[in-house]
Amino acid sequence: MSAPPAIAVSGLRKLYGDFEAVRGIGFEVAQGEIFGLLGPNGAGKTTTVEILEGLRQRTAGEVSVLGYDPEKETAAVKDRIGVALQATNLPEKIRVLEAAELFAAFYTRSVAVEDLLRKLQIWDKRNAFYSTLSGGQKQRLALALALVNDPELVFLDEPTTGLDPQVRLEIHTLISRLKEQKKTVLLTTHYIEEAERLCDRVAIIDEGRIAAMGSPRELQERVLGHARVEVTTLQPMPEHLPESWQGGVGAVFSDGRRKLAASSAKPARIVVELVKWLESHGVEIEDLHIRRPTLEDVFLELTGKSLRD
Amino acid sequence: MRLRAYAAYIKITLKLTLRDRVVLFFNFLMPLLFFIAFGEGMGAETSPGAMSQVLSLVLMFGVLGTGFFGGGIRATMDREAGILRRFKVAPITPAPLLAASMITGWAVFLPSVVFFVLLARWRYGWDQPLNFTSLLIVVSVGVLAFRSMGLIIASVTNSMQESQIIAQLLYMPMLLLSGAAVPLHILPDWLQRVAQFLPATHFYLGTQGILVRHETAWDNRAALGAMLLAMAAGFWVSMKLFRWEKDEKVKPAAKLWLAGVMVPFLLIGAWQMIDRRNEAKVRMIERQSRRSQSWLIRDVRIFTGDGSVIERGGLLIRNSRIEQIYAGAAPDPKDVRAEAVEAGGRTLLPALIDSGVALSQPGGRVSQKAIEEALKAYAYCGVGALAVPQDPQGMADLARRKVDSGEWLGPEILPAPPAPVLSLTAAQTTAGDLSLLRDDLSQQFFPAPYLQSLASLASARKPAPEALQQAIGALRLAREQGGLPSPSGGAGGWLQLHGPGLVHELGLWVEAGIPPGDALMAATAAAADRAGAGNRLGRIRPGLDATLLIVDGNPLEDIRALGRIHSVFVRGERIVRGELASENKKAEK
Repeated sequence: MSAPPAIAVSGLRKLYGDFEAVRGIGFEVAQGEIFGLLGPNGAGKTTTVEILEGLRQRTAGEVSVLGYDPEKETAAVKDRIGVALQATNLPEKIRVLEAAELFAAFYTRSVAVEDLLRKLQIWDKRNAFYSTLSGGQKQRLALALALVNDPELVFLDEPTTGLDPQVRLEIHTLISRLKEQKKTVLLTTHYIEEAERLCDRVAIIDEGRIAAMGSPRELQERVLGHARVEVTTLQPMPEHLPESWQGGVGAVFSDGRRKLAASSAKPARIVVELVKWLESHGVEIEDLHIRRPTLEDVFLELTGKSLRD
Repeated sequence: MRLRAYAAYIKITLKLTLRDRVVLFFNFLMPLLFFIAFGEGMGAETSPGAMSQVLSLVLMFGVLGTGFFGGGIRATMDREAGILRRFKVAPITPAPLLAASMITGWAVFLPSVVFFVLLARWRYGWDQPLNFTSLLIVVSVGVLAFRSMGLIIASVTNSMQESQIIAQLLYMPMLLLSGAAVPLHILPDWLQRVAQFLPATHFYLGTQGILVRHETAWDNRAALGAMLLAMAAGFWVSMKLFRWEKDEKVKPAAKLWLAGVMVPFLLIGAWQMIDRRNEAKVRMIERQSRRSQSWLIRDVRIFTGDGSVIERGGLLIRNSRIEQIYAGAAPDPKDVRAEAVEAGGRTLLPALIDSGVALSQPGGRVSQKAIEEALKAYAYCGVGALAVPQDPQGMADLARRKVDSGEWLGPEILPAPPAPVLSLTAAQTTAGDLSLLRDDLSQQFFPAPYLQSLASLASARKPAPEALQQAIGALRLAREQGGLPSPSGGAGGWLQLHGPGLVHELGLWVEAGIPPGDALMAATAAAADRAGAGNRLGRIRPGLDATLLIVDGNPLEDIRALGRIHSVFVRGERIVRGELASENKKAEK
């Protein structure tokens, strides 16, 4: 018997006046899964998430969060989920420990605040005012507040936006640990690496629709199906490609035949054949690498836009 | 909503508020600066009334500040900074946030009330009896009401700028028109009416009523009710319009909700247009405030009312009573916290008592307005009490109540004495001699055309020339028999001229051969005793009402000195005679 999904959405639509921000979205998030919503600003990510969190009413569609309808059973949903918002703040002069204890008091269930702050490595900062915290410390506190009610489901909205790479890695580590704790996570992001690194599955959202959905690997393969082998040579390459490449391999020359890009489902074999072929013609290799398509490529391919705007 | 969330949120809001120096500045430091500045400037040391006004002003500053700026602007700031957004995703409603704002504003403000009352007591010797519970009730309801108005400001504005503007738009008029910063009674009538529509006015009248008139919270139930209604309405509207994020905008029409909260005050203001009770209250507060001023009269000859004279002495008035009499040099006014009246070469005596006054007008008509004006004339002319017979319309009782409450300025209204009352003045006018109209006091107080019209009315009557001689005969006979009657200015007679008659009368008595000292005693101590008011009036003795008269010169040698009035005190209030006279002359025109 399989467990019911943590989130089930179908046919979700949201109109703001005449503007249709969400145009029929459907997905499910299994328990214990880290699910990513990837898309540029204005794609409908935040609206979707806010409907799930019980902050907004939907225009149409079915939504179930932990078995509740967030529109009708808002309190039950809010009590059981954890949320780390993107642009948020706390009063300047609230201390870390006070903030955690305050939020703990809002929920039916709460974890031991000290353990939580220790786990998130801000116990040392427990008496510091919020305004004195660094960006990373603030984000760790935001995570702590999202986890203070020991939620089954955590929403993380752009959890690392604006943080420097080192801190971003630390936060990624903390998020990965949530998976070990069997928590379900819904993450929105416009960082490709974040989605690739953290998410079990990703939905790419564009203009209120899901453009593609699957594990990062699946998405990459579904779109291009191939890895790319790129080679640069000192001398121009021969005009005629190896005979064994007929049909299965797409190859494009550039830079006066000093560059070749070949894509194939079996990149390792391509490399071997390529090296043999070039050696047999006495062409020296300057550079060679295999590139897997990234989510960014996928995104570009699917939507015709870049994620970073 | 569980109580735990409320408790936690209120606790943290309190902590945050106490950590916020701006709040402490607005709650304590700024009012303290005003307290000191106004306390010194308004002479709060010598006048408990001025001190009460300063206290009310400081409380008003605090309540308006904590309401509009501490409550309203703060809430807008929290929203703009994205702080409220974080609470939006927690399983709480806006209720604990709003409740915390109200309760925090209240809890942080109350200590300042205690602080300022103690400061008034210690630093300024403010010794008025105080119903502290009632004061706390009124202040508490006030803080909560203004706080909820502040929260509405936050609810109906879309930016800091907007809420600053609205807060200022409400703050300034409320401060200026409430009576706290500018005394209400000096505002033009129409502005006084407008003021009755402002919540701040009701708060001010509440605190002043308690501080000055020793009222209770229950006496101010209408104002409290309006403020409680505003608080409830404010809380409800704030809940309805609450926004967690600055991106959620409110429609411009929502600002009308602000007007909705003012509805209780529109009602109470409209009611006051008919009822006028608050206008009366404003006057009572003003009067009682004046009555509480401390005075030190120095270097003065004192005629005590029962025959003895202190040639050079002083007298201390405090809380509308004679507190102390000094033979010889009086102390430094600073040492006794009183304002000095230098009275070298002058004589201090009990204010005169007119033993026979009918308040009716010719034809038996009476109007409240006419009585009020008549009473001012008596006060101007040094008369501190009137013996008035009962009348069928109950005007005597009405006048007594209005004078006692302080709504009207005027002498105390006493019951008519059983003993013989005599008026040579009335007899003189009956005899066709209108010299009363030519007296200095008459000329000073009444406009010339009015005096002329009285003269022509009187001259139309047939004079009875024997009347004066008959009356003088009766006076001499009574004196020979060992008992003087009580003198009356004769305002019940032909002329109906209220005020200057009694001084004129005593002049006639002395002309008729009565020694000035005896005549004065008959118009002071003896008259008071006969009216059953000897324990309050008619003598200069510690503990009696400070209803006094200072004249230039010595009336014991020259009775005409009575017409040269320097000051009149009625129950401790120094009558501003020049103002009364000029008002009267203007009004009669």
